Amino acid sequence: MRQSTTRRLASLAAGALVMPLALTACSSSNSSGSGGGSAAKTQCGTGAGIGKPTGGTLKIGFQGPLSGDNQQLGINARDAMKVAIEQANSSNALPYKLSLVESDDQGSPDQGPTAAQKLVDDQGVVAVVGPMFSGATKASEPIFCQNGILSVSPSATNPALTSLGFTNFVRVIAPDTVQGKAAGDYIVKSLQAKKVFSLDDKSEYGTGLSSALEPELKADGAQVVHDGINPTKDYTSEATKIVGENPDALYYSGYYAELALLAKALKAKGFKGKIVSGDGANDNQYISQAGADVAEGTYLTCACGDANSDPKAQQFVQQYSQTNAGTKPGTYSGEAYDATNALVQVLKGLGPNADRASVTDAFKKVDFTGLTKQVKFQANGEVAGDAVYIYQVKGGQRVVLGLTKDLIK
Amino acid sequence: MSDLPSPQLTGQQRKVVYGGLTVLVVGLAVAALIVRIGFQQFLQLTVDGLTIGALYAVIALGYTLVYGVLQLINFAHSEVFMLGAFGGLFAARWLLGDGGLPSGFESVALVAFGLGCGALAGGVAAFLLERTAYRPLRKRGAPRLAYLISAIGASLFAANLAGKQFGRQNVPVPPLFTDGVLFTFFGAQVTVVTMLIFGTAVAMLLLLERLVNGTRLGSGIRSVAQDADTASLMGVNVERVIVTTFVIGGLLAGAGGFLYAIVFNASYNMGFVPGVKAFTAAVLGGIGNVRGAVVGGLVLGLVENYGGYLTQASYKDVIAFGVLVMVLLVRPSGLLGERLGRAA
Repeated sequence: MRQSTTRRLASLAAGALVMPLALTACSSSNSSGSGGGSAAKTQCGTGAGIGKPTGGTLKIGFQGPLSGDNQQLGINARDAMKVAIEQANSSNALPYKLSLVESDDQGSPDQGPTAAQKLVDDQGVVAVVGPMFSGATKASEPIFCQNGILSVSPSATNPALTSLGFTNFVRVIAPDTVQGKAAGDYIVKSLQAKKVFSLDDKSEYGTGLSSALEPELKADGAQVVHDGINPTKDYTSEATKIVGENPDALYYSGYYAELALLAKALKAKGFKGKIVSGDGANDNQYISQAGADVAEGTYLTCACGDANSDPKAQQFVQQYSQTNAGTKPGTYSGEAYDATNALVQVLKGLGPNADRASVTDAFKKVDFTGLTKQVKFQANGEVAGDAVYIYQVKGGQRVVLGLTKDLIK
Repeated sequence: MSDLPSPQLTGQQRKVVYGGLTVLVVGLAVAALIVRIGFQQFLQLTVDGLTIGALYAVIALGYTLVYGVLQLINFAHSEVFMLGAFGGLFAARWLLGDGGLPSGFESVALVAFGLGCGALAGGVAAFLLERTAYRPLRKRGAPRLAYLISAIGASLFAANLAGKQFGRQNVPVPPLFTDGVLFTFFGAQVTVVTMLIFGTAVAMLLLLERLVNGTRLGSGIRSVAQDADTASLMGVNVERVIVTTFVIGGLLAGAGGFLYAIVFNASYNMGFVPGVKAFTAAVLGGIGNVRGAVVGGLVLGLVENYGGYLTQASYKDVIAFGVLVMVLLVRPSGLLGERLGRAA
């Protein structure tokens, strides 16, 4: 009897020892995961002779989340690509028809490589628009690189993505170094916040954005409290913690499905501060999932313009509705439309000689006036320009307040 | 060591010693917690923990009841919960129509209707599940593992069917009442939602207790749990008892699903995490034991809420499962013990 009790106590003690170990193991694997990719300078493959037009059609790939919690952002981009492709086909400007190949990565790093492989294995695919989420992009780029196929992301904003040596990766959106800096300035200078709670979702995107935001907040003289939380459903104890800190503003670096639940929990706890979030939450789905009442007043920062309120983009908005059963363009629709149109312009120049290698080379030198911006790349694959817009939820709608640099003055 | 004569404790003494030790450890932990985070914050976390814990308990009962009569873990129970949530959600949405935010009696009626339809949807789902995934196997006398596989298959099927039909995004329950602080208790805020969830859960638990211990049906369930063969010889319709047990679990889980969706939104994969948590709660309290499931659920809700606040919220699950492992090391049959054959 006594022995078995001693044994039980011993195993209990062993359990108590193992617990903290397990905790540290978790956190260390996390940090090594985000630092791992930047090590080696990769030599990308060429992809010459692959992805040529066959039987009068040429395929363009799309990779992004088409299912899962944050699918709306992927759907916005894919539907915009459909519009661009339809326009190119009906104008007969190319010696072949374009068609779209979709590959769903659910926005997750785990699914990214499989989704990328599907596109690469299709010998008819000449270039890819996507991936969309930063984590999935980082996981997929090695495959695009090996096969020498161009990957144009309309939305992956993690700053490190262009410094990993993937020479065939470009993006038509400013990185989060730009967004984070602008958001920090806006929160301190326009919203007058003295204390800011910075919360990220521990994803590639969220940590990139929060680590660009926090130094700027501190430089502007605000007190910053940082915390990270993996996507979950129950934000009750996190909300208790945030309310306990009593910040003037909360900045959430993550996606809309989680922000909606977080905002609900905060509202239930009587949070008085301002809620601010980034491009990953900048979608009408945030409002419908949180409820218009809860979402009211939330600020959203984004390096993306809003096609719906842009007078120059009205033709696109109309065409988009026609192609996509009456829906309106959403966040990243404009960027994906620009990326696809820039690709069409490159294909016009190459004509029947298009293949993966020639398209990659020509696209990096493209200079195209898009809806959202001038599509023109620096040597590292970043698009020129640093416009960041502020949106706010007013009366159940997202309204563009303007460019940060105009608002701060 | 073993050669030495050791003082043997009698059963009664052991109970006192272990009970005393447990009270001491828990008391110390609570005291340390209060000192660390302050009394008001502690109360607030307790209120929130009990609320989510009550939900876990409601779901856990479904696992524990089925385990009681069949000695099987029903892995598709989480999907019964999910289908109940959607049932309640669509019913409430339909009744609400295009109307704005309701108030007063309308709110009460809407919530009650949603709860009822959620429970109904859960009950129907559990009934169909038993018919398709369990009964055919039982008729053929299939081995235990076969039930497990068919339950997992049914679970995947139901989740993906829901994903296909209702979309793969989170679906919110329309606002049915004005949420706000109902009263404060020594500085801890108790909101309308908290009260709604906790009150409904407690009411359901009491009803179930009455049902299992005070009705003919309840004695049927208990007798099947004790010894199905003997019960059948004594004239108990075992098949009917099994179906009823599934349906009772489904009714509870369905209503719980609707409550969960009010706070956390509904989605096709919403069942997984609460399902695992509720299963944990059932094991923690002692599987097969109805009161154990309730205690397990509340303890789990409290522990993960305190733990999530003290560390990072992401460690919630680590802490919850850490506690489960510790408790099982000391008490392998759970906090209140497996009372197989006495599913009450």
